Amino acid sequence: MFGYDMSWASFHVLEVMSSVKYLQKRVGYLGAVQSFRPDTEVLMLATNLLKKDIVTSNIPNMSLPLITLPHIITPSLAMSLLPDILSRLSHSNPVVRKKTIVCLYRIALVYPEALKLAWPKIKDHLMDDQEDGSVTTAAINVVCELGWRRPHDFLPLAPRFFELLVDSGNNWMAIKIIKLFATLTPLEPRLTRKLLRPLINIIQTTSAMSLLYECINGIIQGGILDGEDGLQERDDVATLCVGKLRGMIVMDSDPNLKYVALLALNRIVATHPTLVSMQQDVIMDCLDDADVSIRLQALELAVGMVSSETLQPVVNRLLDQLRRACVLAGESTEVPEAPDASAVWPNDYRTEVIHRILDLCSQNNYSEIVDFEWYIAVLVQLVSLLPPSESDDGWCQPKEPDNTPDLRMDAALRIGMEIRNVAVRVKGVRTEATRAAESLVFIDNRSIFFPTYSTIGDGALGPVAWVVGEYAELLLSPHRSLLSLIDTSNSSLPPHTLSLFLQAIPKIFVHVSQVTNTGDAWNSEMSLLLARVVEFLETLASHPDLDVQERAIEFLEVLRLAAEALHSETQDVPFLLTSVIPSLFRGLELNPVAASAQRKVVLPDTLRLDEAFSHDLPGLFRNLSDSSSVNSKSWEASDFYHTPEIMSLAKNVHDSTLNDTPYGSHSNLNDSMDPNATQRRILERKERFKDDPFYIVPSADSSGTSTPFHEILNNSNGEALDIDSIPIVDLKLGDDQPRVHSDRPRSRRAPSRLVVAGDETFEITNATVHASTSRGAGAGAAAPKRSLLQVDSSNLGSLSLAQEPSNTTADQGETEMANAMRQVEEVRLRMQRASERIELDGTPAEGTLVKKKKKKPKKQAGSGSPDATKALPESSAIRKKKKRKDCEKQAEENEPPSASM
Amino acid sequence: MINAVLVFNNNGQPRLTKFYTQLDTQTQQSLIAQIYRLVSQRPPSACNFLPLPPLLSKGASSSATGPSDTPTQITYRTYATLSFIMISTSTESPLALIDLIQVFVESLDRMFENVCELDLIFGYETLHAVLGEMIVGGVVVETHIEKIIAGVRAQEGSLGKKRAVQAANTSLGRGALPGLGAWR
Repeated sequence: MFGYDMSWASFHVLEVMSSVKYLQKRVGYLGAVQSFRPDTEVLMLATNLLKKDIVTSNIPNMSLPLITLPHIITPSLAMSLLPDILSRLSHSNPVVRKKTIVCLYRIALVYPEALKLAWPKIKDHLMDDQEDGSVTTAAINVVCELGWRRPHDFLPLAPRFFELLVDSGNNWMAIKIIKLFATLTPLEPRLTRKLLRPLINIIQTTSAMSLLYECINGIIQGGILDGEDGLQERDDVATLCVGKLRGMIVMDSDPNLKYVALLALNRIVATHPTLVSMQQDVIMDCLDDADVSIRLQALELAVGMVSSETLQPVVNRLLDQLRRACVLAGESTEVPEAPDASAVWPNDYRTEVIHRILDLCSQNNYSEIVDFEWYIAVLVQLVSLLPPSESDDGWCQPKEPDNTPDLRMDAALRIGMEIRNVAVRVKGVRTEATRAAESLVFIDNRSIFFPTYSTIGDGALGPVAWVVGEYAELLLSPHRSLLSLIDTSNSSLPPHTLSLFLQAIPKIFVHVSQVTNTGDAWNSEMSLLLARVVEFLETLASHPDLDVQERAIEFLEVLRLAAEALHSETQDVPFLLTSVIPSLFRGLELNPVAASAQRKVVLPDTLRLDEAFSHDLPGLFRNLSDSSSVNSKSWEASDFYHTPEIMSLAKNVHDSTLNDTPYGSHSNLNDSMDPNATQRRILERKERFKDDPFYIVPSADSSGTSTPFHEILNNSNGEALDIDSIPIVDLKLGDDQPRVHSDRPRSRRAPSRLVVAGDETFEITNATVHASTSRGAGAGAAAPKRSLLQVDSSNLGSLSLAQEPSNTTADQGETEMANAMRQVEEVRLRMQRASERIELDGTPAEGTLVKKKKKKPKKQAGSGSPDATKALPESSAIRKKKKRKDCEKQAEENEPPSASM
Repeated sequence: MINAVLVFNNNGQPRLTKFYTQLDTQTQQSLIAQIYRLVSQRPPSACNFLPLPPLLSKGASSSATGPSDTPTQITYRTYATLSFIMISTSTESPLALIDLIQVFVESLDRMFENVCELDLIFGYETLHAVLGEMIVGGVVVETHIEKIIAGVRAQEGSLGKKRAVQAANTSLGRGALPGLGAWR
């Protein structure tokens, strides 16, 4: 009850449950709710007790199992208790009847057949005018739960619901009926007409706000507002609803009413945006509300209702709020205890506001924006208004990875991307957008435009830098932008941003080099600038992020070439700078591409991304280490980075079907450390591999590169160089030999240890995955389900009640049917019980079935029907069996008509 | 339907937890902790509806307008030191749930005569009995205070005297706590 596990106590709970004293029994039942689970074994023992308590004459005693059963029900339990519970439906006391109805609903959730039997009776209670009000309410509640699953089955009852709605003074029931009608009206348009009048009547007269709200909600959800045949009434109703909702917001100081009214308006806005936007003033006031929930709703509503005229005021208002919040937040950090805590917004709300502003403006591809210059100004302002961190609430943190990164990405990044989007999409303001981006990039502007206290705004810099680079010709002062981009403080930016910076730097540089008038100073100026760029790139050439590193090195090399060219050609502008490098960035204009476009590119058939290159990767490595130990000649470079080459060499050797024996002898020779032999062998090998294009000449190996370039160099340089290099290699080999030899075990182990480590990491990752999934299952039973706490009623969706409502004519057959069904259930239950006794898994073999048949009657005598005598002799067991068979036969006779009906 | 009824005090200690689905203890505790976090952050002037805590929002689709099985509403109400929380699906009316909590508290008040947190601790059977008269298996069966009271009295009344005697004899130091005679 207080959140402690007590499943261990289930047997003791059962003992207490069977107490004769009511109060003890009650405690026992409370314990049962806490401790019994569907897999609790004691549950089977409890069945008898539950049966007994259900049929007892004492009303409090009787309601105990009825209250408890919904918590502990399982299909088999439902099966065995169903007849007894059904009989309670006709109990004289309304308290028992209403609880039974609800209990049956929960039983039906796990055992849908129950509903088939129970529904006619529940319906009788529902239709009965003389029935106790609370029983009718309970029935309506159940029908409301069932209603949205199978609305068709309840359409025939609509007149009765209507009657109840109009006549009964019970607000709770009226709310439920309206909810029910909201699911029925889409199926039966005629209902709409009939319902409108009473609903309007209620809206105009009722004093209960909850009923009023539900009426409006029902009108909205029932689709009464969005019919097509332009009824005058419809618009009237919509006006009435919105008017009432406005009243709820304005007049009442109750925040709850404000909240639900906004909720309802949010639903109306889809169909009647104009009506809602007439209430703009009120909704805008709600944006200033002290309550975050209300503000969020109002914000959502604002997104839904803006038009091109209202957009600017709305956004300006939000911006004002953000600005105020920023100031307040700044104050609150200085003064530890702010006087009015409600005025300081939580950071995630501020982030949400920023997202909403961006949503507002960018919706429908900027269709609502008239003044893009204003929008750019807004974007620049937003950067400075970014809250210090995305979410500083502790439990928000684990939520983060669950979020789809596309939808709710970093707000700063999103602002930057908006600037980029505008620059790319809207040619008219490209200059302005680029200038704005430029002003954001300027290093000395950063303290002005970006929040001072954190680095949160850095995310915006990446796309902004791209804009600056791409549209460099529009820059106000490219020289200054370039210097800002290559400022050394930039090297601490996140890698993603940096790689965009790197792309922008050469673009701007090219532009700078072109706009600077070519004079005497040009050369020196350029070389100075180049030197500074190169210096910046050099700092990034060893950046830990590979993407950044690669880009940096690429541009570094290109620009070094340019610098060389500048130095060598004194009088002329080097060709490299005038056309080669600019041509890298010139081409077709970049246009926005839909995110889904990539998916439409057909993958080539031969591309198999899911297939592993090799299924035995560890084996490959093992082979490698084995073979490398054999041809130790190639192991001369024990450097880790050379292993791939060695592998290719080793493979090559095997592929070219060179027998291994000379290698073995070579390695033996090698062990003897005879310098002559070694040299001879190297010559031999060189001879052998001279014409093999795949062979990497060992002499070239010292540099660790195997480019064809090297080979060409080697070839063109002639044999003399090779001959020269052989002794060097040989010497090295000789020098290394003792060390290599002594290190052999270690060096051989090194790759093998690597392999093992790889295996381990595989296993570890698997293990962690398992652990995390099992932990996830432990932490949230929700893992298999769709949501926590969810009661799965999908079983009921497949169950048809249609035959029962139409069954009213065949009343005389109904009781017979029920009887037969009950008998069938009984038999089925008995069989299941027996199978549970014998084999929990079921699927008993033919032999066990015989045994079971003998056992069954006995057990049934002990636990089953109350009319059986306690001690049943063996002979009567056979009689019992016969009777059961008769039952079965009768059931089978009865089943076909039930199927046909 | 109503998926859970929770009562906890200002320190987040649960006084009543009733989940109408089976849930393991760990999840219950973390859910209570998350909801307590949400509730405790809210100023008294705020409205009585909570956003979904992470545990619940995981599976819930926020955009679904029609009814579904997933719990989408959390309604709470705070009385003095106690917060009453109801987690429900969209088939329940949020405003009606607030009223339902009110009915629940009023019934408790009638049963305990000026109810306080200690009453709920020591009279947990009565607490559950009241709830059992109102909600069965997540479905509301009764909203009239008189009938609820009558139902609980019917349970306790016949055995009330006996119970009082038992309590006096066997209870662990209940008599030592002043002002607790009221709940009998």
